[in-house]
Amino acid sequence: MIDLLSGYAIFSLSTVLVFVALATLLHLQFGLAGIVNFGVVGFWGLGMYAFGILLLNFQLPYFVALILAVAIVALVAFVLGWVVLDLDSQAQLVATLAFAAVIADLVTTEKWLTKGVVGLGTVPHPFGGAQSALWLLLILLVLTVGVIVYARLLGRSPFGRLLAAIRDNEVLARNLGKDTSRAKLIFFTLTSAGMGLFGALSAPVRQFLTPDLLGPGVTFSVWIALIVGGKRWPLGGLLGVLLTIFVFDFLIETYLRVPSDWAQIIPILKLMLYGVTLVLVLLFRPFGLLGDRRQPTSHL
Amino acid sequence: MSVVTSALVLGLIEAAPLVLAAMGFTLIYYLNGFTNVAFAENITFGAFFAVIFTSILGLDFYLSIIPASLLSGAVSVLTYLCIFRPALRRGVGPTEMIILSVGLSFALRYGARLIFGGDLYYFDTVSPEYYAFLGVGVTSFQITALVLVAVLASLLYVFIYRTRYGEMMRALANNEELALASGINPTLVSVLIWFIAGVAGGLAGVFFGVFSFVNTLVGWNLILIVIMISIIGGVGSIRGALIASVVVGIVTSSISLVATPLYGEVLLLVLFIAFLKIRQMRARA
Amino acid sequence: MSNNQITLKGVKKSYGGRVVSDIADLALGRHGVEGLIGPNGAGKTTLMSLITGKISADAGEILFFENGNRHDISGKKLDAVARLGLVRTNQRIQDFESLGILDSMLLSVVQPAQETVLGLFAETALRQQAHPAINRYLEAFRFSDPGGYALSAGEKKLLDIIRCLLLKPKFLLMDEPTVGLPQDQTDKVMEVVREAARDDGMSVVIIEHDLDLIWNVCEYIHFMADGRIMAQGTPDEVRTSTMVREKYMGEGDA
Repeated sequence: MIDLLSGYAIFSLSTVLVFVALATLLHLQFGLAGIVNFGVVGFWGLGMYAFGILLLNFQLPYFVALILAVAIVALVAFVLGWVVLDLDSQAQLVATLAFAAVIADLVTTEKWLTKGVVGLGTVPHPFGGAQSALWLLLILLVLTVGVIVYARLLGRSPFGRLLAAIRDNEVLARNLGKDTSRAKLIFFTLTSAGMGLFGALSAPVRQFLTPDLLGPGVTFSVWIALIVGGKRWPLGGLLGVLLTIFVFDFLIETYLRVPSDWAQIIPILKLMLYGVTLVLVLLFRPFGLLGDRRQPTSHL
Repeated sequence: MSVVTSALVLGLIEAAPLVLAAMGFTLIYYLNGFTNVAFAENITFGAFFAVIFTSILGLDFYLSIIPASLLSGAVSVLTYLCIFRPALRRGVGPTEMIILSVGLSFALRYGARLIFGGDLYYFDTVSPEYYAFLGVGVTSFQITALVLVAVLASLLYVFIYRTRYGEMMRALANNEELALASGINPTLVSVLIWFIAGVAGGLAGVFFGVFSFVNTLVGWNLILIVIMISIIGGVGSIRGALIASVVVGIVTSSISLVATPLYGEVLLLVLFIAFLKIRQMRARA
Repeated sequence: MSNNQITLKGVKKSYGGRVVSDIADLALGRHGVEGLIGPNGAGKTTLMSLITGKISADAGEILFFENGNRHDISGKKLDAVARLGLVRTNQRIQDFESLGILDSMLLSVVQPAQETVLGLFAETALRQQAHPAINRYLEAFRFSDPGGYALSAGEKKLLDIIRCLLLKPKFLLMDEPTVGLPQDQTDKVMEVVREAARDDGMSVVIIEHDLDLIWNVCEYIHFMADGRIMAQGTPDEVRTSTMVREKYMGEGDA
């Protein structure tokens, strides 16, 4: 096992797992609750930088820094959610995009805190020793599976039903006495904090943090994965990531021997193909590969 | 006083491409009722068409504006006929339309990136002359752009609110069945609107490129502000978009006089998010 | 007889200069099942939207009294009003596209305490607890596929009413319940509503153009035109009022 996985393979697999988790969290936000979050990279990046800064600049203990970083993301998500969640999908899109742009800008400008484009590092792995990267991979694996299991259970719980009702017809849900604003706000805060947690754990994966990690490509990759896989399904994100990010970022970059002048083109080609795929999926299979999810409760 | 005039002059100049972009974007929203993020690529393509005509084919800058804007109009119509119209016919909802347009935006942007690379292009065949205007240094391009934008925006405004075609378009946007019944050909009017929107977007790209530089991210960097303007101006209101883009231009340049560009953007975006909340709270009260 | 009542004082609402609602003084719910009638465009639906907080009034005070408690519901949000036990059925068909019939009913029955982000295993208890109430409605009303989705417009309308009844409201506003429903289903709905009014003390106000239903079911009637309450009284009083005849029944669409 260990021999099979080179250092680079561990890095790539860790990245892929992070994307699976982000896509599953987006399934919860968009597929289940209908919240249009185009600021995924903002929450993820805020978690990553907050953790790095607390750990390196403020010398906090590892897990204290981790918890504090997630708490910061939760707080920011709460405030942003309070502002945007009751707006229409266009306003949600622009406001969350704007939020992500603000985070990327601030990371660049606040050099005293983030070291700007020079980069913040080195973020150590949670456990030392020769297999420290493998341990981190295992932690990510456990947490990602946890997110998928949570998504699966939530989809069949009363709260999941409430979120589906809000997505389908929010006014009607309010007509039945549901405090939809509160439900959305709590859920958005929780799931965005989840994105922050995976951001924080991406810091030791990356080890060296630079503002160019926070480009719009991250949010877009997560969206494409979820839409391709199937936004309504807890496993939609996993399937989508396997077909997109796993192929490009793991298989091709790790195992395919490409000429060096091609190496620069591949990421660009990747994003272009993602775009084409997204258009084709929405035109010809709008609910993604797994399809629409309509399983009514058939008996009590 | 000088700070105020600088802010006003620079703001108007800053607003010039924004006015065109916001009007083009809003036209599409007004007609089809969805946010077309791929409009960003219309802006980018307009700028690149002009670059091709001037730098590569050696055409005069002012002359190159015409084929560049017509070509961007054609690209806009093409995206409508090949992607958006089929999607609308299939009953894709407004949220999914946004995501679809984001997908198209990425496909076009990184397609362009494959061709043009990540380099910065300048309109290097022409060198501007400098003038002082109300005590503010401006280039001849900026003045030309300002005048051209004023003329084009007025023409567009007159077209939409004062001509028969504009009336048809507004009829179509409000009620397709009624428009059909009164003998309006919806496809033809839609194609015309997408063409005009594309021309406006392309011109915005050209002027934005003249002020600074052109690369494949020009449109993407602008689109957030453009959508913001259309929301502030009241979604789908062309008058509102016109006023809001001037206001945003002046606000942006005022901020940039006292802060670095990145802080300016942060402040603008935060102001926008706050604006959304305030408007929502006022609507509820 | 119920202890629940809604009072409106000086409630005004206008759109673009046109006054659509101008209620000087109105008390609803004193007489068990009441009717609200009037010509199209009289402002009946707007009045219900104002009471439930779906839209907010420009001026005035709306109070809701239930079992001796007094609530000022002017300017309160839709969901907050519904939680007080003041619920409305919809005139137009409203449905949750992805929820089946049973899911729709469970959504109504569930308590907020069971509806939490961490309540992942509350479903079993919820179903057991909801079983009797839901079964009662499934036995009373026949859906073509009770384990699936509400298919026809009539089934969706019926489901909308059942969802509201499952909330066990103290005050139920019904906006044209018979539209889209077959006659036998309408009769059953009215039977269930009257039963709840009698046994549970639920107050009911019904908007209807089907005047036979109004004369048969309602004990008291409010007549509305041009955004104002024009006449009130027992079915006999309202039926014989010359003003009501002129303004409404003379139209011929009754």
